[in-house]
Amino acid sequence: MRAARTAYPLKWRIMDTLEGVAAAIWPARFRRATPYLMLLPAVLLVGLLVLGLIQIADASLRTLDTTTFQFSDNYSIANFRRALTEPLFLVVAQRSLIAALIVTTVTLVFAFPYAYLMVRTRSPGLRKFLLIALFLPFFIGQVVRAYGWLIILGNQGMVNEALGLVGVAPMRLIYNYPAVLFGLVQYMLPFAVLMLAPALTAIPEELEAAAGSLGASWVRTFIHVVLPLARPGFIGAGVVVLTLSLTDFAVPAILGGGSQDFIANAIYDQFFRTSDQGLGATLALMLVALGSILVGLVFALFGAGTLAMGRSRA
Amino acid sequence: MKRFKPTLSHLSRRTFLQATAALGGASALGLRGAYAQEPEKPAEIIVRAWGGSWVDSLKAGVSDSFTKMTGIAVRHDLTEDNEIQPKVWAAVAQNRVPPIHINWDTTTNATKSALRGVTEDLSDLPNLANVTDLAKPAGLEGFPIVNTYGYVYVLAYRPAAFPDGPPKSWKDLLDPKFKGRLAFYNDGIGFHFPAQVAGGGKLEDIPGNMQPAWDFITKMKAQQPLLGEDPDFTTWFQNGEIDAACTISTNAREARKNGVKIEWVVPEEGAKFDTDGLWIPKGLPENELYWAKQYINHALTKEAQQVWLDGLGLPGVVPGLTPPKDLVGDPSYPTTEADFQRLIRISSKIQVENESEWFSKFKAIMQG
Repeated sequence: MRAARTAYPLKWRIMDTLEGVAAAIWPARFRRATPYLMLLPAVLLVGLLVLGLIQIADASLRTLDTTTFQFSDNYSIANFRRALTEPLFLVVAQRSLIAALIVTTVTLVFAFPYAYLMVRTRSPGLRKFLLIALFLPFFIGQVVRAYGWLIILGNQGMVNEALGLVGVAPMRLIYNYPAVLFGLVQYMLPFAVLMLAPALTAIPEELEAAAGSLGASWVRTFIHVVLPLARPGFIGAGVVVLTLSLTDFAVPAILGGGSQDFIANAIYDQFFRTSDQGLGATLALMLVALGSILVGLVFALFGAGTLAMGRSRA
Repeated sequence: MKRFKPTLSHLSRRTFLQATAALGGASALGLRGAYAQEPEKPAEIIVRAWGGSWVDSLKAGVSDSFTKMTGIAVRHDLTEDNEIQPKVWAAVAQNRVPPIHINWDTTTNATKSALRGVTEDLSDLPNLANVTDLAKPAGLEGFPIVNTYGYVYVLAYRPAAFPDGPPKSWKDLLDPKFKGRLAFYNDGIGFHFPAQVAGGGKLEDIPGNMQPAWDFITKMKAQQPLLGEDPDFTTWFQNGEIDAACTISTNAREARKNGVKIEWVVPEEGAKFDTDGLWIPKGLPENELYWAKQYINHALTKEAQQVWLDGLGLPGVVPGLTPPKDLVGDPSYPTTEADFQRLIRISSKIQVENESEWFSKFKAIMQG
């Protein structure tokens, strides 16, 4: 009895059974299609998004009848005409776009030294500290962080209290455009560092040492060696920060004091405040289009960076 | 509606039903027998509500006593009124059971739902026989909504910021010293109509010609006001961020309860008066619809209104309510014809049909 178990243990039996079941479900002749099977979750996910976009596109072509609060049966481009001609939407779109560009630039400038230090430091303690400081904000949601800034920067907040100690009268530090930009940069910084770090890790330290041994100063090495090789990281981080900033809702809503709306806030207003889901859908589609064009431009000009998974543009 | 004979084990419920029916007068008495035949009770009913002191007052005045009388728990869903609306509309359109039993809503928002046809008719509530005209939604057939109280968008201010006495006009807010120290609702609600008067226009011209309102709001934009929602006003007053605001008196009163020195006035141009109400979305199972109606019926009793609206500091729709001590003679608690003459009331129909355009116009000015 014992010998038989050793010869064909239970684990083997289970594995054989499972293999039999797998073969019945996915026969060996389908093996060439297995890689495509792996794509199925992604296809399903993208398919759902596309279905949603089709519904949004359908809604965008219907206008709201305010006597019945029903949407028109007929299609029209009235919502698109409104979105492109009403000053409110142009102002909000312009503000979002400029903010996204400013936030991306400033975030990359701040994120690079952080990522560089984190990757290159010889001190394991410092690296751990930088990693913890990087990941800690992820455990605190965006809304909580934005409210945190209200407490710190408010009229009776810590900063104004500190200023009061040296005789400076309380000043309005929040509820304006700079406050929104500040909040966004603070929110985006960890994302940018996370995208930059792998690109910097991939730069062999020996290259910097070689440049130094050939007489290049640290600055020249940095400009001519490190920065060009870090380009994929900049592109990946830039694309992520750009798109997240462009579509942000919470930071403008909380730190903007109601007067610094982004496109996402305008979309919310249409869906939930005026009940005009058609116009909201139109603005949503235009935001998707704007984001896609921007990302497409970046990819066309600079390649996909780290988002290309190591395959850089020729 | 399925009905059952009452049992002796439901003594407290019977007492409740008798009380509500008695308050309903003669017509209510006619329905008393019918209401005593109760369908199966749900474990709970869900009432959408605003948070903070709003839901606390509803709970103290209506929900707790309803639970005590019927044994049905009441869960308060604090989803924003604007956000629950599309969910309810979608549920009704797809023949699904709606996510809430009762929506506590602004009359304007509720009117949109009524026009869309997603509200149940509440005309058979016994206690409607004992309410004032304020309870009836203007311009709608029957009772798709029952208004439960009125409120005023007052000019609330910190007395310390007005050393020469209370502000008399909305124009007083244009003083440069208030730059960055004012607050309005982020869609301008409550301020459009007084701005029309303050800008030299006439209320009769609404909605045809509101240019005076937009001109006045443009002047106000130069003051760089903060724009927010109900809870923001209380917070901003408490944190010393603002000196004055156009807000519902309840928010100002809440800040005062929290120790902030704050007063409010109805300026000479007037202040917007509006109503909130309760309504039931279509698509509920019959027994749940029955008990949801009982909840609203209970909310129209004098006892429930007194406690609920004492908490909110607002005038109700049942005659004979006693104003809270701190609001006797207050312009935000209108009780007489003279009080109402100082207030601006525009029909829900006009508001509903034009609100989207007004919000956009206000936003365009303030975001520009």
